This record gives sequence, C-alpha cells and structure tokens, in this order.
Amino acid sequence: MIQMKDISKTYENGTIALERVNVEIGKGEFVFIVGASGAGKSTFIRLLFREVLPSSGELIVNGHDVVNMDNSEVPYLRRGLGVVFQDYRLLPDKTVAENVAFAMQVIEAPRRRMQHSVNAVLDIVGLRDKYKNFPSQLSGGEQQRVAIARAIVNNPALVIADEPTGNLDPETSWEIMDIFKRINASGTTIVMATHDKHIVDTMRKRVIAIEGGKIVRDEAQGVYGYEN
Amino acid sequence: MKISTLEYVIREVFFSLRRNSWMAVASVSTVAVSLFILGMFMILVMNMNRMAESLESQVEISVYLKDEVSESSIEDIRGMLESMQGIDKVTFVDKAEAMSRFEERLGEQKFLLEAIGDTNPLPNSFEVKVKHPDMVKAAADEIAKIKGVESAKYGQDVVQHMFDITRLIRIFGFALMILLGGATLFIISNTIRLTVFARRKEIAIMKYVGATDWFIRWPFLLEGIVLGCFGGVFAAFALRLAYGIVTNKIYETLAFFPLIPMFPFIGYVGIGIMICGMAIGAIGSTISLKRFLKA
Ligand SMILES: Nc1ncnc2c1ncn2[C@@H]1O[C@H](COP(=O)(O)OP(=O)(O)OP(=O)(O)O)[C@@H](O)[C@H]1O
Ligand SMILES: [Mg+2]
Repeated sequence: MIQMKDISKTYENGTIALERVNVEIGKGEFVFIVGASGAGKSTFIRLLFREVLPSSGELIVNGHDVVNMDNSEVPYLRRGLGVVFQDYRLLPDKTVAENVAFAMQVIEAPRRRMQHSVNAVLDIVGLRDKYKNFPSQLSGGEQQRVAIARAIVNNPALVIADEPTGNLDPETSWEIMDIFKRINASGTTIVMATHDKHIVDTMRKRVIAIEGGKIVRDEAQGVYGYEN
Repeated sequence: MKISTLEYVIREVFFSLRRNSWMAVASVSTVAVSLFILGMFMILVMNMNRMAESLESQVEISVYLKDEVSESSIEDIRGMLESMQGIDKVTFVDKAEAMSRFEERLGEQKFLLEAIGDTNPLPNSFEVKVKHPDMVKAAADEIAKIKGVESAKYGQDVVQHMFDITRLIRIFGFALMILLGGATLFIISNTIRLTVFARRKEIAIMKYVGATDWFIRWPFLLEGIVLGCFGGVFAAFALRLAYGIVTNKIYETLAFFPLIPMFPFIGYVGIGIMICGMAIGAIGSTISLKRFLKA
C-alpha cells in the first residue's frame, strides 16, 4: 500500500523534518505513527496524500508514484485515500449528510449511489439519526465521526489520520478508535499519527516511532514507548 | 461535464452571487460603466474611420486646362490622364458645365453673374479621381506638368487633417481600451477573490477528497463570466440609447453627416461589448484562482 524509500523532507526554511525514511506498509495494516512534538509525524502523514512533496526519495501510495506525479493526477491519488484531521474540517453551513455527500459530489460520483452511500457510512459512525444537524449542533466526538464518514464514503483503500483524537476526551477517543477498528476490519489500511499513549498501548498494533525526522523503532505489536 | 455537476456549478454561482449581492451589484455596475466608455470609443473610432473613408473617396484633383487648348488636344490629355498609374476615373467638365454648376452653387446670389455678361471666364477642366489618397499629391504634381494644363488642385489640407485626427483618436482609444480593460479585469478578479476567500475551507476540503482543479474552478469561472456578461448587457443597452440620442442630435443640424446607421451596427457593437465583458470575467476569475489552485 505504501512504499517509502530514502524519503527526506526539508522545508523551504531549511528545517529538516524527515531524513532517509524507509517504510513499507502493507494492505490492511493498522499503523500508529508516534513521536515527540516536532518529530515529523505530520510531515510523514502529509507526504502520503501529497500535500507536501518529498525533497528526495521514492514514494508509492496505493499504486501511485507520488514523486513523479503530474499535478493533474493528484486528485486521482486522493480519491483512493481518506484523510482525517485533528480539527475535523467540516463545512459549518452544510448539514451532516451534506458534508458527507459533498465528498461524493465533488468527484462527480453517480447521484443515485449518493443517498445509499451516505446512509451506509452514517450508520458505520453511528450518526444516522443526526444527519440533519449542522456541525455547530454536534459534540467534538460527533464532528469527528462526520469527518470519518466523509473520509470513507468513497471507499478508500487507505485512511490517513493526523491525531484524530487530539481534541477529544479519553472516552470519546475510544469511541472514535472503535470506528477505526471497524473500518480496518473491513480491509482498509489505516495510518494514524497519535500522542495517545493509552490507545497505542491498549491496541497493540504496528508502531513506527519517529525522532528528529528518523525512524527509531518499528514494531509489529508495539507500544507507545514515551511518557506523556 | 455531467448534468449533476452542471447543476452544482449553477447552484454555487447563484448562491455566491446572492451571498455577495452588493459586491456583485458593484462589480456589474463598474463593468457596465467601463464597457460603456469602451463602447463609446469603439463607436467614435468606427465613425471617424467611416468619415475618413468617405472623405478619401471624395478626394479628387481638378485639372484646369488653358483656354487655347484645342478639342483634339483635350482628347490627348484625357488619354494621358487615363493611362497614368493609380487613376480611378476621369471626367471632363466643359466651360458651360462648369458655369452652370457655379450658378447652382450661387443660388440666390446668381444675379452677381450679370456683371460679367455673356462671357464665361471658367476654364475647361477634368475631374480626376485617384484610387488611393496617398497618391493624390504625386498625381497632381505629374498632371501639372502636362502640356496644356494650367493647374492641378486638390483639397490636401482637409484630408491630411482628417487622417491626423483619426490616427490620434485611434491611439487614444486604444490606450483607453487597455486602461479600462485593465480596470474592469481588476474589479472582477477582486470580486471573485472575495468569493474564493469566503470559500477557502470548502476549496481545501474539495482538494483533500480529490476534486479536480477544473471542478473547483468552474463555479468561479462562471461567476466571473456572469458578472462580465451582465455588465456587458447593461453597457450594450446604454450604448444603444446613447447612440440613438447622438445620431438624432447630429442629424437635426447636419442632415448629410456620414454617421454609421444605428442598425445593425449597434447590435454588433453590443455583442462585441458583451463578449468583451465575458472574456474579461473569465480572465479575472482565472487570475484570482491561480494562486489558490497551486500546491
Ligand atoms: N510548513 C512548514 N515549514 C517549515 N517547517 C515546518 C513546516 N511544517 C513543519 N515544519 C517543521 O518540521 C518539523 C516536523 O514537523 P511536524 O509537523 O511533522 O511534527 P509533528 O511530529 O507532527 O509534531 P506535533 O506532534 O507537534 O504535531 C518541525 O520542526 C516543524 O517545525
Ligand atoms: Mg503534527
């Protein structure tokens, strides 16, 4: 699903965010990216959907050569991915259902499938009964569920999340993780950057630890490994 | 483009215009005013061109012959004139004809001629039309050298003036066109920039979920085109009214002024102005979006 070879990223101001990173992530894996603040987790995540370009190295995501890709191909890379952020990024003047449908609309998905798909993903995240609500009428956890529903409505092979539980209390975080577990169980690959020790230590999934832009640890059933 | 996408685009444009309605009104009016002035200049330049053309076509050389020239020599001179390069038409005007034209021009003051009695002081002459006004001077100089020709005259000053004025107006109009075009472009692109800014979150999300640049671009492009088109329509109607008033005023005093008739001329101008508006709108929104769609 993801092949990173010797990937380095230096930002325009000279900050080296990643240095010679080699990672391979297979289909259906569930991977946590951990590390201290400023280690390079978000940069790692953003490379995957080509929000930033690597300075050097090779990167294949879901069959797309991210490095040698024409700008016009980026939308097609992203249609195979779902992205979830810490701050949800919902459209405030659209309802729950509209926010989710929006992701289908803008890639010109057939309209007859829309209703069905939106209902299906709202069922998965448990928000079917609030489909008419606006984001301002939802709790943080509920807003994040909407964001997840939007991320998976186009059936991506890979879901990428950057600290999706960063703004949520422990209990709500677990509800969100349950949803990710279910999505993963249906065969979707999940890559998640997180600061949540308790979640990582409890789930015992693959853990990739980054320090100062380098991978320092990569364990199949790892633990968080830092004191929060 | 899919029907559902078309629907989406139209809905987005409608909502956006309604949301920024005062801004839309402001930009439509500015576009209309700019295009109106632009159109006025187009009309002025075209009319000046036409006037210059009609003057040019009237440029002719009067070739006055000496009195002693015999009839056969007159025929010789005619032959020489006709065989010269760049000559369009040669007409002979004899003394009698010249006198009756003169009388006609005097009109009420015809009695003045009584003083000269039965004598006719006017010479025989040829009226020579040249194919192109640039040739007038050379041809007149050449003709003056022909034996039996007293003089060859033409209204050089008038023509030259007309040319100079037309050229000046053309240059001025062109500069103005660029200036006003630039201003219109600026206004439309600023309006679209506001819309883009108001929707930057939406655009970011569209990009995350894989919308193509064209899908993102269409609503803004169409919005720009709509603004430009409305501005153009208003300008076209205003031009039609203004040209009607101006032509009426001119015809009241100068019945034979060679103005371009209102129809279908003003229709072409209107369509041109509308296309101008739409093009400017499209370019304006493309400019505003350029930075947003990159990266
Ligand atoms: N756009 C940018 N321009 C310049 N430097 C950047 C940019 N984004 C991140 N950096 C720098 O790159 C390094 C890695 O940042 P990154 O956001 O990947 O860290 P992170 O591990 O996600 O941190 P956090 O846990 O705080 O989110 C940091 O030193 C950061 O300051
Ligand atoms: Mg981060």
